[in-house]
Amino acid sequence: MAENNFRALQSANKSKTYFLLAAMGALTWLVAYAVMTYFGVGTASTMVPMAVAFALIGVWGSYYGSDKLVLTMTGAKLITREDAPELFNVIEEVVIASGLPMPKVAIVEDSAPNAFATGRNPDHALIAFTTRILEVMDREELEGVIAHELSHVANRDTLVSAVAATTAGAIAILSDFLMRLMWFGGGRDRERSSNPIALVLSLVVLIMAPIAAMLLKSAISRKRESLADATAVSYTRNPAGLRKALEVLAADSTVVRQRSNAVAHIWIESPLDGQAVSKMFSTHPPIQERIATLRAMESLGPNQG
Amino acid sequence: MELIIIGVVVLLVIFAIAQYNRLVRLNITVDEAFAQIEVQLKRRADLIPNLVETVKGYAKHEQSTFDAVVAARAKSTSASSVADVAAADGALTNALRGLLAVAEAYPDLKASSNFLALQEELSTTENKVSFARQFYNDNVRSLNTAVATIPSSFFAGLAKVGAREFYEVENPTDRNVPNVKF
Repeated sequence: MAENNFRALQSANKSKTYFLLAAMGALTWLVAYAVMTYFGVGTASTMVPMAVAFALIGVWGSYYGSDKLVLTMTGAKLITREDAPELFNVIEEVVIASGLPMPKVAIVEDSAPNAFATGRNPDHALIAFTTRILEVMDREELEGVIAHELSHVANRDTLVSAVAATTAGAIAILSDFLMRLMWFGGGRDRERSSNPIALVLSLVVLIMAPIAAMLLKSAISRKRESLADATAVSYTRNPAGLRKALEVLAADSTVVRQRSNAVAHIWIESPLDGQAVSKMFSTHPPIQERIATLRAMESLGPNQG
Repeated sequence: MELIIIGVVVLLVIFAIAQYNRLVRLNITVDEAFAQIEVQLKRRADLIPNLVETVKGYAKHEQSTFDAVVAARAKSTSASSVADVAAADGALTNALRGLLAVAEAYPDLKASSNFLALQEELSTTENKVSFARQFYNDNVRSLNTAVATIPSSFFAGLAKVGAREFYEVENPTDRNVPNVKF
């Protein structure tokens, strides 16, 4: 049954995210352990909490004020029902299907079709569309895009990516800090550790950790995108709408004029896709893969409910 | 030893409270979901007099179609149980399709801005009705599963929560059409 299919897909994506977040936690622990081995417990007990606190403050701020912050960073303008009654109608339809509160709606003046969602919880949610996406998409496609964005809101993806960014940030700060200390002879506790293999291993961990953290962060983001696609179908029961919308996005080669790469991951279609180093660092699954998954759902036929 | 027993009892109490609350919450969500269907049906009913007047202005000789819509609307506003509301909803949807089919034959009507605005309002309301229906049925499904499966079934009596009725539309083709296009 089609219905079971998107539900299964939803829970598979969820458990994969939990696994990745757990891996992130394990990585943080590993880095902390490496610091302890290298510098002795005394230095580590002050440095690990400091790095976590630094990252936490930065990410918490952007998480808490995400709706306002993203408005400034993307140049989006809030609109009301009078500005776009038809868009509001379609949004209200999907809102009813999802059982979420009505989000704030914003428009970004841009010649690339794209959309995003943000906000720390469903009550402070914001979804935004570029002017171009409203021109190129019909009602059914737009409905799919709105459902995808509202799925991010329902799945608390702002929180998930904030957690991922915090740990990745903490690991990066910590590793960076230690490398500097090492060059400038800060490693006075080095003599205390007697095992040279442990020292070398902890050094390797410190060098590799930020890269591993980046990879995990991207993997989490990709899983959340797949999850949002599956959740979107559970709202509209119409995989064809989102599939056609993604095809429109795939066919269009223009990308959003980014003010900052920091918000690249929030768009429905990644603005960095063309320049991504490899699939492993990409924040979105390949669009063709997403289209294929939705097409597979369509072939299961319409479902009742 | 006593500590272990107290610990186990506390855990059991927490478990029971969680189960109880979950059932009550599910039941409230079903109520809210049904209220949403009613809100949207009411919106649709409110659109109808205006729509009928507009169509009448261009198509004076379709009295039987108007009567059917008005009768179906009257019936829908008086229904209260889930089955009655669903039946009246289905009948009104069909009557409205008849009315819009009539409108097809009058190009002047179809081009009038008043009619176009009404048509957009009506089609979005139809979509909202079917999404509200879907949301309601999803929640009834969760509730009914919780009421019927162990362990939550043990607490259904205590929480005074029972299985609820699905919102079934008579016309089976309606179920597959979340996107009503007239």
